[in-house]
Amino acid sequence: MTIIPFPARSTRRYGDPVVTQAMSFEDEQDDAVRALAARLVAGDETALEEIYDRWSALVHTYALRALRDPHDAEDVTQQVFVAAWRSRHTLTPSPAALPAWLLGIARHKVADARAARARDADRVAAVVSLPGAHDGSDQSVDDDVAERLVVRQAVDELPDPRRTIMFLAFWEERSHAEIAETVGLPLGTVKSHVRRGLIKLHQQLEGVRHESR
Amino acid sequence: MSHADPDQLAGLALDPTDGPEDVRDHAATCPECAALLAAFTGVRRRAGADALVAPPARVRAQVLAEVRAGDPAEPAAPPVPDELARRRGVPLWLAAVAAALALLAGVGLGRWGTGGEGAPEAVVPPADTGTVVAAATLTALDSDADRGEASAVQSEDTFTIRVSATELGDAPGVREVWLIHVDGVRMVSIGLLAAGDDGEFAVPMELIDEGYRIVDISVEPDDGDPTHSGVSVARGELA
Repeated sequence: MTIIPFPARSTRRYGDPVVTQAMSFEDEQDDAVRALAARLVAGDETALEEIYDRWSALVHTYALRALRDPHDAEDVTQQVFVAAWRSRHTLTPSPAALPAWLLGIARHKVADARAARARDADRVAAVVSLPGAHDGSDQSVDDDVAERLVVRQAVDELPDPRRTIMFLAFWEERSHAEIAETVGLPLGTVKSHVRRGLIKLHQQLEGVRHESR
Repeated sequence: MSHADPDQLAGLALDPTDGPEDVRDHAATCPECAALLAAFTGVRRRAGADALVAPPARVRAQVLAEVRAGDPAEPAAPPVPDELARRRGVPLWLAAVAAALALLAGVGLGRWGTGGEGAPEAVVPPADTGTVVAAATLTALDSDADRGEASAVQSEDTFTIRVSATELGDAPGVREVWLIHVDGVRMVSIGLLAAGDDGEFAVPMELIDEGYRIVDISVEPDDGDPTHSGVSVARGELA
């Protein structure tokens, strides 16, 4: 996915040319996200509200999985969106930038929360002279969780019937023929939806990955 | 054959026995298509996460309350009617520029725009330092490493972008300065860093008005291709 989609001769830095061509569909949605990001950068509070409404579940679920504590997850969610507002000038509007940026902030806030826990644990450990009790959390596990959640949200946001078809195919593991029967569409149409859906999910994920680097 | 259609690769990712034989053969030998196929397979494997859990409604209220209570990151913009700017959907700094322009017109120096025709070029820095109406901290793209700064300066009847960059690296080629639109799609070259890492570029005010606010410095090889090389070494948004 081309994240900094300006006329460039070489796409070495910005993604695979094959993928660039495949992403021309559903550009409209991308434009809407870009416009939303631009409004945030310009200081529009209603943009923050829209961004919160669209991505707070993603951030909250990520924090919940990473910290396994509802109270901490709520705190992190709040910190992420306040920090997003305060550092909005650093955001370069691009379709995948918003979720990637929010998840990037969330990663830091989760790390802060863990560090605070580790300090507390160390203090306790020091008192009872035990080695520090760090919760050996693994960043790659967190990243995998984040990616799964990004995919989940991307499917949630697909227009129907593609959304339903993707759920039946990927979540319920139904065959294309079964899906065709369930949704009452020709087999070829169902196949096409699943393929296009997969490409779209790939683009979303690549965008978030690229922006997260 | 040329590269496989992503659609067919997606089909292969869903069912390795699916699709024409030549596509399968190609995907098996072409590193690029194999990588895309692997990426699609990876996405498929990541599908299946439980539904996202929305935070309780009170978190939203707390976020908005905290945001409205204070904004320490707000740039120190010249005092302009805040509410007015917001209602019009105009960024604060832009309103400041507009105000400065109105002032200029008011004192009868309304010669603004005469420099707007033709290709923008580097100009000799005027003795007058002008008024900085917007500024950007330039950073590397892959990190927050400092790469200097850029500012938009209003001076008499000209509007210039001043770039003072640092540590742009020693990759072969010239350093070209661009303004990228906030829509992330459009861009325009405003000139080359001819000597060292500093430069000053007269630009038509309309550009900034339209949203070309992201200053970008690229490394351009000497290959006769006038488009952006895609290799950016510094970037920052005027605010």
